[in-house]
Amino acid sequence: MSELLNTLIHDARVWQGHRQSLTQAPGEPTGYTALDQQLNQSGWPVGALSECLMDHDGIGELQLVLPLMRRVAQAKRTVFWINPPHIPYAPALLRHGVALEQVVVIRPGSTGDTLWTLENCLRSAVTGLVLAWPGRLASRDIRRLQLAAEAGHTTCVLFRSRRHACQNSPAALRLELEPAPRQGLRVNVLKRRGGWPGQSCQLEVASRAGLPSQDGPQVITGPWAGSHGQE
Amino acid sequence: MLWLYLHFPHLLLDHLRRAFEEPAAMVVVSGPQPLVAQVCPLAQQQGVQVGMRLKTALTLVPDLAIHPGDTARTEAVLAQQAQWLYRYAAQIVLQPPDGLLLEAGSLRRLYGGVPELWQTLQQALAERRLTAWMATGLTPRAARLVARQGPGTCEQEQERLKARIAALPLAAAELEPRTQERLTRLGLTRLGELFQLPAAELARRLAPETLAYVQRIQGQRPDPQAFWQPPHHFHQQVDLVREAEQAQGLLFPLHPILAELEADLQWRQQDTDSLHLTLSHRDREASQLSLRTAGPEHRAGAFGELIRIRLEQHPLSAPVMALALTVRRFLDRDAPGGTDLLGETPDLREAWYTLVSRLQARLGDGALQRLAPEADHRPERAWSGVSLRPRSAPQAEASQQPLRPLWLLARPQPLQQAPVAWLSEPERIDSGWWDGERVQRDYYIAQLASGQLAWLFRDVRGGWFIHGWFG
Repeated sequence: MSELLNTLIHDARVWQGHRQSLTQAPGEPTGYTALDQQLNQSGWPVGALSECLMDHDGIGELQLVLPLMRRVAQAKRTVFWINPPHIPYAPALLRHGVALEQVVVIRPGSTGDTLWTLENCLRSAVTGLVLAWPGRLASRDIRRLQLAAEAGHTTCVLFRSRRHACQNSPAALRLELEPAPRQGLRVNVLKRRGGWPGQSCQLEVASRAGLPSQDGPQVITGPWAGSHGQE
Repeated sequence: MLWLYLHFPHLLLDHLRRAFEEPAAMVVVSGPQPLVAQVCPLAQQQGVQVGMRLKTALTLVPDLAIHPGDTARTEAVLAQQAQWLYRYAAQIVLQPPDGLLLEAGSLRRLYGGVPELWQTLQQALAERRLTAWMATGLTPRAARLVARQGPGTCEQEQERLKARIAALPLAAAELEPRTQERLTRLGLTRLGELFQLPAAELARRLAPETLAYVQRIQGQRPDPQAFWQPPHHFHQQVDLVREAEQAQGLLFPLHPILAELEADLQWRQQDTDSLHLTLSHRDREASQLSLRTAGPEHRAGAFGELIRIRLEQHPLSAPVMALALTVRRFLDRDAPGGTDLLGETPDLREAWYTLVSRLQARLGDGALQRLAPEADHRPERAWSGVSLRPRSAPQAEASQQPLRPLWLLARPQPLQQAPVAWLSEPERIDSGWWDGERVQRDYYIAQLASGQLAWLFRDVRGGWFIHGWFG
C-alpha cells in the first residue's frame, strides 16, 4: 500500500501543497530555459496530454514545440501532425532542422476518425510526438486520449481555441498562448501536474521570421513563483 | 507403392458448416425432385436421412438449412482441400467429386511410418472439422474402393491389404450395373472370387474394359495418375447458407480462411501485403475489396483486424452469399535478425507497419502523407505530400532552404486589414512562365493587429494576400 502511495506521490499524481518541488513527473525539456523554469524543470509531460490554447495561428505556437520535434525526429521516432489547420511547410521544417522522413501528416475525414486516429497514434510504440488540432472535444474524449497517451507513454500536444480555457480538462499541462511585444510569445500556465498554476513567461520567438532576437527572455513571475522558482 | 485414399462423405456440408457460428441442422439436396443427399449429424438426430424427400425433411425439422448440391462447387471445395493437403504430401490426385488420393509409400521415411502419417492426417482433418474416410491400398483403385466403404483402419501389410480388397462385396466394386448383374447371376458375391477367374475368359465373356478394370484393382496393369499441381496463388471461398446482411456476420466465417492463409504463408515462408476479398451477392455483381498492409505480413490476426476496420468503414451494399479470399502477391521474408544488438529495430518496424496499416485501412491511402521539399521557386510548388508507400527516405537537403513560414495556406487569402508592422524587405518571386502557372509576386513579412506574423504577397494586379503564418 505504501509502495503504491509512494509511486503516486513520485509521479506527481497527488497534488501536495507543501512539497511540490520534490515531485518529478517524467517530461521532455521544452528547449526554452524560461519556460522550463516555470514548469519546474519537468517540461512537456510524457505519457500525458498537453494543451495549448490560443486565438490565432501564426503567433509562434509551432516554435514552442519545435525543439522537442527536432529532438524526437532525430531519435528516429515519428512525429504525427493530425488534422493541421494549414499545410505544414516542408522547406521551413527542413530549415529548422526537422528530419522530414519522420514527419507524417494525417487528415482524417470526420471528428470520429480524428479521435480514433489520435488514440491509435498515441498507443503505438513508434510515436514520439503527436501534434493535433482536434477541434471540439468533449471532456470524456480528452480523458480517453489521456489514457491512450499513458498507455503508449507518448507526448501529445493538442492545439485548441482559447474558448476552451475555462472548460475542465484532464490534460496534465495546459498553456495559454498569446502574442507578446516584439513578435514574442507569452505563455501562461493554466494547469500543471504537481504544482501551482499561474506562472507566466515570455519567449523570444521572433527568429522564426528571421528577425533579430532582442535581449534575453523577460520573465514575469507569477504570484507563487517565489516559493519554488529557485529550487 | 502404397496409396492412401481420402473419401469425404459429405464434403460440401462440412465446408458449409465451417461458416456457422453455432451448429444448426443442415442438409444438401440434389435432383429435380429434391432429395436429401447429405445430412449433418444434428439433422440426423432429428430424424432426417439420406434419400428422404425434402418435404419430409422439412416437416421433421422446420428450420432446416438447405443448400443445393452443386458439382462444380464441390469440385472447387475439393481443390481447396488439396491445397492444405499438399503441405503433408507431395503427390496428390484429385478424384472428383469427393475423393483425394495420395501416394503414401514415399512418405514413410518422412513421417517415420504409415501409421504416423495416418495420425497426422487425422489431426489435420479434425482441425478443419472435416469428415473423411481413409484407407490404404496397393493400387489407387483398391484404396478408393476400400475407403468408400466407411472409416477404415491403417493397414500396410501386403497380404492383409490383398485380403481386404478380396473380401469386398461385388456391389462395392463400382462395376457397371449390367456387368455386376451378370456376375451376380454367375453366383459371385465377393471381389476375390472375381479375381480367381481366368483373365482370357473374363475378357471374352464380359468385356475387355472390365478385365482392364479388374486388373487395375489388382495392380496387374499400369494405372498412371495425373498429379495435382498447387496454383501459384492462394484462393479460398466460404459459402454462407444464411446470407450475411451485416459486416459483423462475415468476420466469423473469415476466421478459418485467414488461419488457412497464415498456415499457407508459413509453409511458403513468404509474406504478403495485399489481400483481395470478393463478396458475392444474390442479385447483383460481386463487390470487390482490396486491402493492403503497410508492410509484409503473415499473421491471421493482423489481417482480420484490417478487414474488420475496412468493413466497418464500408457497409455492405447487399446481403452476402459467399466470400472468397485471394492472394496473388507474395513477398519473400526478410531474414530475421536485428539490425542492432538489442533487437529493437524489427519490433519498431513491425509496430510502424501495424499502425500505418490500421490507419490506412480506416482513413484511406490518401489521408496519410509524408512531406518533402521540391526544387521550385513558387511557394505552392516547393513542397509535396507523398503517399507513405514505398518507404524511401527522401534526401534531406538541409539548411539551403530559404526563409519560409511553418504554415502555408492551401490557397492564399485576401488581406483584410493593413498590418501594424512591416518586418522585412520584399522578396520577389517570378517564376513558372514555362508551364502556364506563372507566379509574379513580392513577398513581405508583416505583423497583423491580432499579433500573428504573416507572410504576405502582392501580385502583379496589386492585390494583397496572406500566404502563410509564421507559427
